[in-house]
Amino acid sequence: MAIIEVSKLKKSFGNLDVLKQITFDVNKNDVVAVIGPSGSGKSTMLRSLVHLEKIDGGSIMVAGDNLVKNGVYSKPQEIRRVTSRMGMVFQHFNLFPHLTVKDNLEMAPRLVKKESAKELSSRSMVLLEKVGLADKASAYPANLSGGQKQRVAIARALMMNPDIMLFDEPTSALDPELTGEVLQVMKDLAEEHMTMIVVTHEMGFAREVANRVLFMDNGEILESGTPQELFDHPKFDRTKVFLKRSLK
Amino acid sequence: MSLDYFTSILKPMLQGSQMTILLFFISIVLSIPLGFLLTLAVNSRFKPLSWLAQAYIYIMRGTPLLLQLLIICFGLPMIPGIGQYLVLDRFTAACIGFILNYAAYFAEIFRGGLLAIDKGQYEAAQVLGLNKFQTTTRIILPQMFRIAIPALANESVTLVKDTALLYAVAVPELLHYAETAVNRDFTIFPFFVAGAIYLIMTLVLTLIFKWIERRFTFE
Ligand SMILES: Nc1ncnc2c1ncn2[C@@H]1O[C@H](COP(=O)(O)OP(=O)(O)OP(=O)(O)O)[C@@H](O)[C@H]1O
Ligand SMILES: [Mg+2]
Repeated sequence: MAIIEVSKLKKSFGNLDVLKQITFDVNKNDVVAVIGPSGSGKSTMLRSLVHLEKIDGGSIMVAGDNLVKNGVYSKPQEIRRVTSRMGMVFQHFNLFPHLTVKDNLEMAPRLVKKESAKELSSRSMVLLEKVGLADKASAYPANLSGGQKQRVAIARALMMNPDIMLFDEPTSALDPELTGEVLQVMKDLAEEHMTMIVVTHEMGFAREVANRVLFMDNGEILESGTPQELFDHPKFDRTKVFLKRSLK
Repeated sequence: MSLDYFTSILKPMLQGSQMTILLFFISIVLSIPLGFLLTLAVNSRFKPLSWLAQAYIYIMRGTPLLLQLLIICFGLPMIPGIGQYLVLDRFTAACIGFILNYAAYFAEIFRGGLLAIDKGQYEAAQVLGLNKFQTTTRIILPQMFRIAIPALANESVTLVKDTALLYAVAVPELLHYAETAVNRDFTIFPFFVAGAIYLIMTLVLTLIFKWIERRFTFE
Protein backbone atom coordinates (compact mmCIF):
# COMPACT_ATOMS: atom_id res chain seq x y z
CA MET A 1 0.00 0.00 0.00
CA ALA A 2 1.44 3.33 -1.05
CA ILE A 3 1.95 5.74 1.82
CA ILE A 4 3.67 8.34 -0.34
CA GLU A 5 2.61 8.99 -3.91
CA VAL A 6 4.55 11.50 -5.92
CA SER A 7 3.53 12.24 -9.46
CA LYS A 8 5.00 14.54 -12.10
CA LEU A 9 6.83 16.57 -9.48
CA LYS A 10 8.45 19.59 -11.09
CA LYS A 11 10.79 22.02 -9.46
CA SER A 12 13.11 24.66 -10.84
CA PHE A 13 15.41 27.24 -9.33
CA GLY A 14 15.25 30.14 -11.75
CA ASN A 15 15.71 28.56 -15.15
CA LEU A 16 17.46 25.49 -13.78
CA ASP A 17 15.07 22.53 -13.88
CA VAL A 18 16.14 20.57 -10.83
CA LEU A 19 13.32 18.03 -10.81
CA LYS A 20 11.74 17.05 -14.11
CA GLN A 21 8.40 15.31 -13.73
CA ILE A 22 9.38 12.85 -11.04
CA THR A 23 6.95 10.04 -10.28
CA PHE A 24 7.36 7.37 -7.64
CA ASP A 25 5.55 5.63 -4.79
CA VAL A 26 6.74 4.54 -1.41
CA ASN A 27 4.93 1.69 0.26
CA LYS A 28 4.34 1.44 3.96
CA ASN A 29 7.33 -0.19 5.69
CA ASP A 30 9.55 0.38 2.66
CA VAL A 31 13.13 1.43 3.12
CA VAL A 32 13.97 3.38 0.00
CA ALA A 33 17.54 4.40 -0.70
CA VAL A 34 18.01 7.32 -3.06
CA ILE A 35 21.36 7.47 -4.77
CA GLY A 36 22.79 9.57 -7.56
CA PRO A 37 25.47 12.06 -8.45
CA SER A 38 25.84 15.42 -6.74
CA GLY A 39 23.38 18.00 -8.00
CA SER A 40 20.96 15.41 -9.37
CA GLY A 41 18.15 16.75 -7.17
CA LYS A 42 18.06 14.18 -4.34
CA SER A 43 17.88 16.73 -1.53
CA THR A 44 15.41 18.91 -3.38
CA MET A 45 13.12 15.92 -3.87
CA LEU A 46 13.30 14.98 -0.19
CA ARG A 47 12.84 18.55 0.98
CA SER A 48 9.79 18.95 -1.25
CA LEU A 49 8.06 16.15 0.63
CA VAL A 50 8.16 18.10 3.91
CA HIS A 51 7.44 21.44 2.29
CA LEU A 52 10.94 22.84 2.78
CA GLU A 53 10.88 23.47 -0.96
CA LYS A 54 7.85 24.68 -2.82
CA ILE A 55 7.31 22.68 -6.00
CA ASP A 56 6.21 24.15 -9.31
CA GLY A 57 4.02 21.34 -10.53
CA GLY A 58 2.79 17.83 -9.87
CA SER A 59 1.29 16.15 -6.83
CA ILE A 60 2.46 14.82 -3.51
CA MET A 61 0.16 12.64 -1.47
CA VAL A 62 0.98 11.27 1.97
CA ALA A 63 -1.20 8.63 3.60
CA GLY A 64 -4.08 9.52 1.35
CA ASP A 65 -3.92 13.27 1.93
CA ASN A 66 -2.68 15.78 -0.59
CA LEU A 67 0.16 18.08 0.29
CA VAL A 68 -0.06 19.45 -3.20
CA LYS A 69 -2.27 18.40 -6.08
CA ASN A 70 -1.45 19.31 -9.68
CA GLY A 71 0.74 22.13 -8.46
CA VAL A 72 -1.85 23.55 -6.05
CA TYR A 73 -0.97 23.36 -2.38
CA SER A 74 -3.52 22.44 0.26
CA LYS A 75 -4.55 24.88 2.98
CA PRO A 76 -1.88 25.70 5.58
CA GLN A 77 -3.57 23.61 8.23
CA GLU A 78 -3.76 20.63 5.91
CA ILE A 79 -0.12 21.13 4.95
CA ARG A 80 0.85 21.00 8.62
CA ARG A 81 -1.17 17.85 9.14
CA VAL A 82 0.39 16.13 6.13
CA THR A 83 3.97 17.13 6.90
CA SER A 84 3.58 16.17 10.56
CA ARG A 85 3.52 12.54 9.45
CA MET A 86 7.14 12.84 8.42
CA GLY A 87 10.30 13.27 10.44
CA MET A 88 13.43 14.62 8.82
CA VAL A 89 17.09 14.10 9.61
CA PHE A 90 19.56 16.52 8.06
CA GLN A 91 23.14 16.12 6.97
CA HIS A 92 24.25 18.78 9.44
CA PHE A 93 22.02 17.60 12.31
CA ASN A 94 20.53 21.06 12.95
CA LEU A 95 20.22 20.42 16.66
CA PHE A 96 19.24 23.43 18.75
CA PRO A 97 22.55 24.45 20.34
CA HIS A 98 21.00 26.36 23.25
CA LEU A 99 19.01 23.38 24.47
CA THR A 100 20.14 20.24 26.23
CA VAL A 101 19.75 16.92 24.46
CA LYS A 102 16.60 16.22 26.46
CA ASP A 103 15.11 19.61 25.64
CA ASN A 104 15.99 19.15 21.99
CA LEU A 105 13.79 16.08 22.07
CA GLU A 106 10.98 17.50 24.18
CA MET A 107 10.52 21.05 22.95
CA ALA A 108 8.52 20.33 19.80
CA PRO A 109 6.09 17.79 21.26
CA ARG A 110 5.60 20.05 24.28
CA LEU A 111 4.74 23.05 22.11
CA VAL A 112 2.97 21.28 19.28
CA LYS A 113 1.24 18.36 20.96
CA LYS A 114 0.86 19.89 24.42
CA GLU A 115 1.99 16.66 26.03
CA SER A 116 2.53 16.60 29.78
CA ALA A 117 6.06 17.01 31.13
CA LYS A 118 5.95 13.59 32.73
CA GLU A 119 4.92 11.78 29.61
CA LEU A 120 7.49 13.68 27.56
CA SER A 121 10.22 12.90 29.98
CA SER A 122 9.58 9.20 29.95
CA ARG A 123 9.26 9.09 26.18
CA SER A 124 12.44 11.06 25.61
CA MET A 125 14.36 8.79 27.94
CA VAL A 126 13.08 5.71 26.12
CA LEU A 127 14.23 7.14 22.81
CA LEU A 128 17.60 8.25 24.14
CA GLU A 129 18.04 4.77 25.50
CA LYS A 130 17.21 3.39 22.09
CA VAL A 131 19.88 5.48 20.36
CA GLY A 132 22.33 4.72 23.17
CA LEU A 133 22.57 8.22 24.61
CA ALA A 134 20.61 8.09 27.84
CA ASP A 135 23.69 9.30 29.69
CA LYS A 136 23.84 12.44 27.52
CA ALA A 137 20.34 13.67 28.35
CA SER A 138 21.56 16.82 30.06
CA ALA A 139 24.51 17.50 27.75
CA TYR A 140 24.49 20.29 25.20
CA PRO A 141 24.99 19.49 21.51
CA ALA A 142 28.34 21.30 21.51
CA ASN A 143 29.71 18.56 23.74
CA LEU A 144 28.69 15.67 21.51
CA SER A 145 30.54 13.98 18.69
CA GLY A 146 29.04 14.14 15.21
CA GLY A 147 27.73 10.61 15.48
CA GLN A 148 26.10 11.35 18.81
CA LYS A 149 24.56 14.53 17.44
CA GLN A 150 23.02 12.66 14.55
CA ARG A 151 21.62 10.01 16.86
CA VAL A 152 20.06 12.78 18.97
CA ALA A 153 18.61 14.29 15.79
CA ILE A 154 17.05 10.95 14.91
CA ALA A 155 15.58 10.62 18.39
CA ARG A 156 14.28 14.18 18.20
CA ALA A 157 12.45 13.40 14.96
CA LEU A 158 11.03 10.19 16.43
CA MET A 159 9.59 12.13 19.38
CA MET A 160 6.90 13.43 17.01
CA ASN A 161 5.82 9.84 16.26
CA PRO A 162 6.18 10.15 12.49
CA ASP A 163 4.94 7.46 10.15
CA ILE A 164 7.78 8.14 7.77
CA MET A 165 11.39 9.13 8.35
CA LEU A 166 13.37 11.05 5.76
CA PHE A 167 17.15 11.15 5.90
CA ASP A 168 19.27 13.49 3.78
CA GLU A 169 22.80 12.10 3.74
CA PRO A 170 22.75 11.48 7.48
CA THR A 171 26.35 10.27 7.60
CA SER A 172 28.02 12.52 5.03
CA ALA A 173 29.20 15.07 7.58
CA LEU A 174 30.67 12.44 9.88
CA ASP A 175 34.17 11.10 10.28
CA PRO A 176 34.25 7.61 8.74
CA GLU A 177 34.65 5.93 12.12
CA LEU A 178 31.41 7.53 13.37
CA THR A 179 29.13 6.52 10.51
CA GLY A 180 28.62 3.00 11.87
CA GLU A 181 26.79 4.05 15.03
CA VAL A 182 24.32 6.17 13.04
CA LEU A 183 23.75 3.54 10.39
CA GLN A 184 23.11 1.02 13.16
CA VAL A 185 20.34 3.18 14.61
CA MET A 186 18.82 3.49 11.15
CA LYS A 187 19.09 -0.25 10.67
CA ASP A 188 17.26 -0.78 13.95
CA LEU A 189 14.51 1.53 12.76
CA ALA A 190 14.22 -0.38 9.51
CA GLU A 191 13.91 -3.62 11.44
CA GLU A 192 11.00 -2.10 13.37
CA HIS A 193 9.40 -1.50 9.96
CA MET A 194 9.66 2.25 9.97
CA THR A 195 8.97 3.61 6.51
CA MET A 196 12.15 5.38 5.46
CA ILE A 197 13.54 7.34 2.54
CA VAL A 198 17.29 7.65 2.78
CA VAL A 199 19.39 9.79 0.49
CA THR A 200 22.82 8.28 0.89
CA HIS A 201 26.28 7.70 -0.49
CA GLU A 202 26.58 4.59 1.70
CA MET A 203 26.19 1.89 -0.95
CA GLY A 204 26.70 -0.83 1.65
CA PHE A 205 23.76 0.46 3.65
CA ALA A 206 21.61 0.82 0.54
CA ARG A 207 22.33 -2.74 -0.52
CA GLU A 208 21.93 -4.27 2.89
CA VAL A 209 19.02 -2.35 4.45
CA ALA A 210 16.96 -0.87 1.63
CA ASN A 211 14.36 -2.93 -0.15
CA ARG A 212 14.22 -0.44 -2.98
CA VAL A 213 16.78 1.82 -4.56
CA LEU A 214 16.11 4.88 -6.70
CA PHE A 215 18.88 6.16 -8.92
CA MET A 216 18.49 9.85 -9.64
CA ASP A 217 20.36 11.61 -12.38
CA ASN A 218 19.92 15.10 -13.72
CA GLY A 219 16.53 15.73 -12.13
CA GLU A 220 15.02 12.39 -13.07
CA ILE A 221 14.64 8.97 -11.55
CA LEU A 222 16.59 7.11 -14.17
CA GLU A 223 15.91 3.69 -12.73
CA SER A 224 14.65 1.98 -9.63
CA GLY A 225 14.46 -1.54 -8.32
CA THR A 226 15.55 -3.89 -5.63
CA PRO A 227 19.16 -3.48 -4.51
CA GLN A 228 20.04 -6.64 -6.40
CA GLU A 229 18.51 -5.36 -9.61
CA LEU A 230 20.04 -1.96 -9.37
CA PHE A 231 23.49 -2.82 -8.09
CA ASP A 232 24.03 -6.09 -9.91
CA HIS A 233 22.12 -5.50 -13.12
CA PRO A 234 21.89 -1.77 -13.78
CA LYS A 235 20.07 -1.03 -17.02
CA PHE A 236 21.64 2.27 -17.97
CA ASP A 237 25.20 3.25 -18.69
CA ARG A 238 24.91 6.31 -16.48
CA THR A 239 23.92 4.09 -13.57
CA LYS A 240 26.84 1.79 -14.28
CA VAL A 241 29.28 4.68 -14.42
CA PHE A 242 27.95 6.13 -11.18
CA LEU A 243 28.09 2.80 -9.36
CA LYS A 244 31.56 2.08 -10.61
CA ARG A 245 32.76 5.41 -9.30
CA SER A 246 31.08 5.14 -5.91
CA LEU A 247 31.96 1.54 -5.22
CA LYS A 248 35.63 2.31 -5.52
CA MET B 1 50.61 65.70 47.45
CA SER B 2 48.69 64.89 50.59
CA LEU B 3 46.01 62.38 51.28
CA ASP B 4 43.77 65.28 52.27
CA TYR B 5 44.11 66.80 48.84
CA PHE B 6 43.34 63.44 47.27
CA THR B 7 40.12 63.03 49.25
CA SER B 8 39.15 66.64 48.63
CA ILE B 9 39.16 66.16 44.87
CA LEU B 10 37.87 62.60 45.01
CA LYS B 11 34.64 63.52 46.73
CA PRO B 12 33.16 65.76 44.01
CA MET B 13 34.43 63.41 41.35
CA LEU B 14 32.64 60.47 42.93
CA GLN B 15 29.55 62.60 43.07
CA GLY B 16 30.02 63.34 39.39
CA SER B 17 30.39 59.62 38.76
CA GLN B 18 26.88 59.14 40.06
CA MET B 19 25.60 61.12 37.08
CA THR B 20 27.79 59.03 34.81
CA ILE B 21 26.51 55.78 36.27
CA LEU B 22 22.90 56.91 36.28
CA LEU B 23 23.11 57.93 32.64
CA PHE B 24 24.74 54.63 31.83
CA PHE B 25 22.03 52.55 33.49
CA ILE B 26 19.12 54.50 32.10
CA SER B 27 20.61 54.34 28.63
CA ILE B 28 21.47 50.67 28.61
CA VAL B 29 18.24 49.49 30.21
CA LEU B 30 16.13 51.35 27.67
CA SER B 31 18.26 51.27 24.54
CA ILE B 32 18.69 47.48 24.45
CA PRO B 33 14.94 46.77 24.31
CA LEU B 34 14.47 49.65 21.89
CA GLY B 35 17.28 48.32 19.74
CA PHE B 36 15.63 44.91 19.77
CA LEU B 37 12.35 46.43 18.60
CA LEU B 38 14.23 48.22 15.85
CA THR B 39 15.70 44.90 14.72
CA LEU B 40 12.21 43.44 14.55
CA ALA B 41 11.09 46.49 12.57
CA VAL B 42 14.00 46.15 10.14
CA ASN B 43 13.07 42.49 9.61
CA SER B 44 9.37 43.26 9.32
CA ARG B 45 7.62 42.09 6.21
CA PHE B 46 5.74 45.40 6.21
CA LYS B 47 8.23 47.23 4.01
CA PRO B 48 7.53 50.86 4.99
CA LEU B 49 8.21 49.99 8.63
CA SER B 50 11.43 48.26 7.64
CA TRP B 51 12.57 51.23 5.55
CA LEU B 52 11.74 53.64 8.35
CA ALA B 53 13.75 51.60 10.85
CA GLN B 54 16.66 51.32 8.43
CA ALA B 55 16.65 55.05 7.78
CA TYR B 56 16.56 55.71 11.50
CA ILE B 57 19.52 53.42 12.13
CA TYR B 58 21.44 54.96 9.26
CA ILE B 59 20.92 58.50 10.55
CA MET B 60 21.71 57.64 14.15
CA ARG B 61 24.91 55.78 13.27
CA GLY B 62 25.89 58.19 10.54
CA THR B 63 25.97 61.35 12.63
CA PRO B 64 27.96 62.16 15.77
CA LEU B 65 26.30 61.49 19.09
CA LEU B 66 27.54 64.89 20.19
CA LEU B 67 25.58 66.57 17.39
CA GLN B 68 22.48 64.63 18.36
CA LEU B 69 22.86 65.69 21.99
CA LEU B 70 23.31 69.32 21.00
CA ILE B 71 20.20 69.17 18.83
CA ILE B 72 18.09 67.65 21.60
CA CYS B 73 19.40 69.99 24.31
CA PHE B 74 19.68 73.25 22.42
CA GLY B 75 18.19 72.75 18.98
CA LEU B 76 14.70 71.52 19.76
CA PRO B 77 13.76 74.55 21.88
CA MET B 78 14.53 76.77 18.90
CA ILE B 79 11.89 75.20 16.69
CA PRO B 80 9.36 77.96 16.08
CA GLY B 81 5.97 77.34 17.58
CA ILE B 82 6.56 74.11 19.45
CA GLY B 83 10.07 74.83 20.70
CA GLN B 84 8.89 76.16 24.04
CA TYR B 85 7.41 72.77 24.86
CA LEU B 86 10.63 70.99 24.03
CA VAL B 87 12.78 72.57 26.70
CA LEU B 88 13.99 69.59 28.66
CA ASP B 89 16.06 69.28 31.75
CA ARG B 90 19.50 68.76 30.27
CA PHE B 91 20.15 65.44 31.94
CA THR B 92 16.81 64.13 30.67
CA ALA B 93 17.63 65.45 27.23
CA ALA B 94 21.00 63.70 27.35
CA CYS B 95 19.36 60.42 28.41
CA ILE B 96 16.98 60.62 25.46
CA GLY B 97 19.88 61.30 23.11
CA PHE B 98 21.89 58.36 24.42
CA ILE B 99 18.93 55.99 24.29
CA LEU B 100 17.98 56.95 20.75
CA ASN B 101 21.57 56.72 19.56
CA TYR B 102 22.57 53.50 21.28
CA ALA B 103 19.36 51.75 20.26
CA ALA B 104 20.55 52.04 16.66
CA TYR B 105 23.87 50.40 17.49
CA PHE B 106 22.23 47.64 19.51
CA ALA B 107 19.78 47.06 16.66
CA GLU B 108 22.72 46.44 14.33
CA ILE B 109 24.26 44.04 16.82
CA PHE B 110 21.03 42.04 17.09
CA ARG B 111 20.65 42.02 13.33
CA GLY B 112 24.15 40.58 13.04
CA GLY B 113 23.12 37.92 15.55
CA LEU B 114 20.13 36.98 13.43
CA LEU B 115 22.25 36.74 10.30
CA ALA B 116 24.65 34.41 12.06
CA ILE B 117 21.96 31.80 12.72
CA ASP B 118 22.12 28.88 10.32
CA LYS B 119 19.08 28.40 8.11
CA GLY B 120 19.04 24.78 9.21
CA GLN B 121 17.68 25.99 12.56
CA TYR B 122 14.57 27.37 10.89
CA GLU B 123 14.21 24.23 8.80
CA ALA B 124 14.53 21.88 11.76
CA ALA B 125 11.95 23.91 13.67
CA GLN B 126 9.56 23.90 10.72
CA VAL B 127 9.85 20.17 10.14
CA LEU B 128 9.17 19.56 13.84
CA GLY B 129 5.92 21.47 13.45
CA LEU B 130 6.78 24.67 15.30
CA ASN B 131 4.92 27.70 13.99
CA LYS B 132 6.63 30.99 13.11
CA PHE B 133 6.08 32.52 16.53
CA GLN B 134 7.37 29.47 18.40
CA THR B 135 10.37 29.27 16.12
CA THR B 136 11.21 32.91 16.70
CA THR B 137 10.77 32.96 20.46
CA ARG B 138 12.10 29.49 21.33
CA ILE B 139 14.77 28.87 18.75
CA ILE B 140 15.95 32.05 17.06
CA LEU B 141 15.90 34.80 19.67
CA PRO B 142 17.73 32.87 22.40
CA GLN B 143 20.51 32.14 19.93
CA MET B 144 20.51 35.71 18.66
CA PHE B 145 20.99 37.07 22.18
CA ARG B 146 23.72 34.56 22.87
CA ILE B 147 25.60 35.54 19.73
CA ALA B 148 25.12 39.23 20.55
CA ILE B 149 26.61 39.16 24.06
CA PRO B 150 30.26 39.92 23.20
CA ALA B 151 29.31 42.80 20.91
CA LEU B 152 26.85 44.12 23.50
CA ALA B 153 29.65 44.08 26.06
CA ASN B 154 31.89 45.99 23.72
CA GLU B 155 29.27 48.61 22.97
CA SER B 156 28.47 49.00 26.67
CA VAL B 157 32.08 49.84 27.44
CA THR B 158 31.91 52.49 24.74
CA LEU B 159 28.75 53.80 26.35
CA VAL B 160 30.53 54.25 29.68
CA LYS B 161 33.17 56.36 27.98
CA ASP B 162 30.62 58.27 25.92
CA THR B 163 28.96 59.49 29.10
CA ALA B 164 31.78 62.04 29.14
CA LEU B 165 29.78 63.80 26.43
CA LEU B 166 27.57 65.09 29.23
CA TYR B 167 30.38 67.57 29.64
CA ALA B 168 29.46 69.17 26.33
CA VAL B 169 25.89 69.84 27.38
CA ALA B 170 27.03 71.18 30.73
CA VAL B 171 25.66 68.44 32.96
CA PRO B 172 28.20 68.19 35.80
CA GLU B 173 29.69 64.72 35.76
CA LEU B 174 32.95 63.01 36.56
CA LEU B 175 35.05 64.75 33.93
CA HIS B 176 33.64 68.17 34.77
CA TYR B 177 34.82 67.96 38.37
CA ALA B 178 38.18 66.65 37.29
CA GLU B 179 38.70 69.60 35.00
CA THR B 180 37.55 72.07 37.63
CA ALA B 181 40.21 70.70 39.96
CA VAL B 182 42.89 70.74 37.26
CA ASN B 183 42.24 74.39 36.44
CA ARG B 184 42.03 75.44 40.04
CA ASP B 185 45.08 73.62 41.36
CA PHE B 186 47.36 73.59 38.34
CA THR B 187 47.94 69.87 38.55
CA ILE B 188 47.19 67.09 36.11
CA PHE B 189 46.60 64.62 38.92
CA PRO B 190 42.75 64.87 38.92
CA PHE B 191 42.71 63.72 35.31
CA PHE B 192 44.49 60.53 36.33
CA VAL B 193 41.99 60.02 39.11
CA ALA B 194 39.19 60.43 36.59
CA GLY B 195 40.90 57.94 34.30
CA ALA B 196 41.18 55.46 37.15
CA ILE B 197 37.49 55.81 37.95
CA TYR B 198 36.54 55.15 34.31
CA LEU B 199 38.81 52.10 34.32
CA ILE B 200 37.15 50.74 37.43
CA MET B 201 33.71 51.22 35.90
CA THR B 202 34.63 49.51 32.66
CA LEU B 203 36.35 46.71 34.54
CA VAL B 204 33.24 45.99 36.59
CA LEU B 205 31.15 46.07 33.45
CA THR B 206 33.49 43.75 31.62
CA LEU B 207 33.39 41.29 34.51
CA ILE B 208 29.61 41.38 34.57
CA PHE B 209 29.45 40.63 30.86
CA LYS B 210 32.02 37.85 31.20
CA TRP B 211 29.76 36.32 33.80
CA ILE B 212 26.71 36.63 31.55
CA GLU B 213 28.67 35.13 28.69
CA ARG B 214 29.68 32.14 30.79
CA ARG B 215 26.18 31.75 32.11
CA PHE B 216 24.87 31.51 28.55
CA THR B 217 27.52 29.26 27.15
CA PHE B 218 25.74 26.09 26.22
CA GLU B 219 28.39 23.52 26.86
N1 LIG C 1 18.11 27.12 -3.04
C1 LIG C 1 18.64 26.87 -4.25
N2 LIG C 1 18.78 27.87 -5.16
C2 LIG C 1 19.30 27.62 -6.38
N3 LIG C 1 19.72 26.43 -6.79
C3 LIG C 1 19.61 25.39 -5.94
C4 LIG C 1 19.09 25.57 -4.62
N4 LIG C 1 19.10 24.36 -4.00
C5 LIG C 1 19.63 23.50 -4.89
N5 LIG C 1 19.93 24.10 -6.04
C6 LIG C 1 20.48 23.44 -7.23
O1 LIG C 1 19.65 22.37 -7.57
C7 LIG C 1 20.38 21.27 -8.02
C8 LIG C 1 20.02 20.05 -7.22
O2 LIG C 1 20.44 20.23 -5.90
P1 LIG C 1 20.24 19.14 -4.78
O3 LIG C 1 20.77 19.72 -3.52
O4 LIG C 1 18.84 18.67 -4.76
O5 LIG C 1 21.18 17.99 -5.30
P2 LIG C 1 21.65 16.67 -4.55
O6 LIG C 1 21.34 15.56 -5.47
O7 LIG C 1 21.09 16.62 -3.18
O8 LIG C 1 23.22 16.85 -4.50
P3 LIG C 1 24.26 16.48 -3.35
O9 LIG C 1 24.58 15.02 -3.54
O10 LIG C 1 25.44 17.32 -3.67
O11 LIG C 1 23.64 16.78 -2.05
C9 LIG C 1 21.85 21.65 -7.93
O12 LIG C 1 22.26 22.07 -9.20
C10 LIG C 1 21.83 22.81 -6.98
O13 LIG C 1 22.87 23.69 -7.27
MG1 LIG D 1 21.89 16.82 -1.24
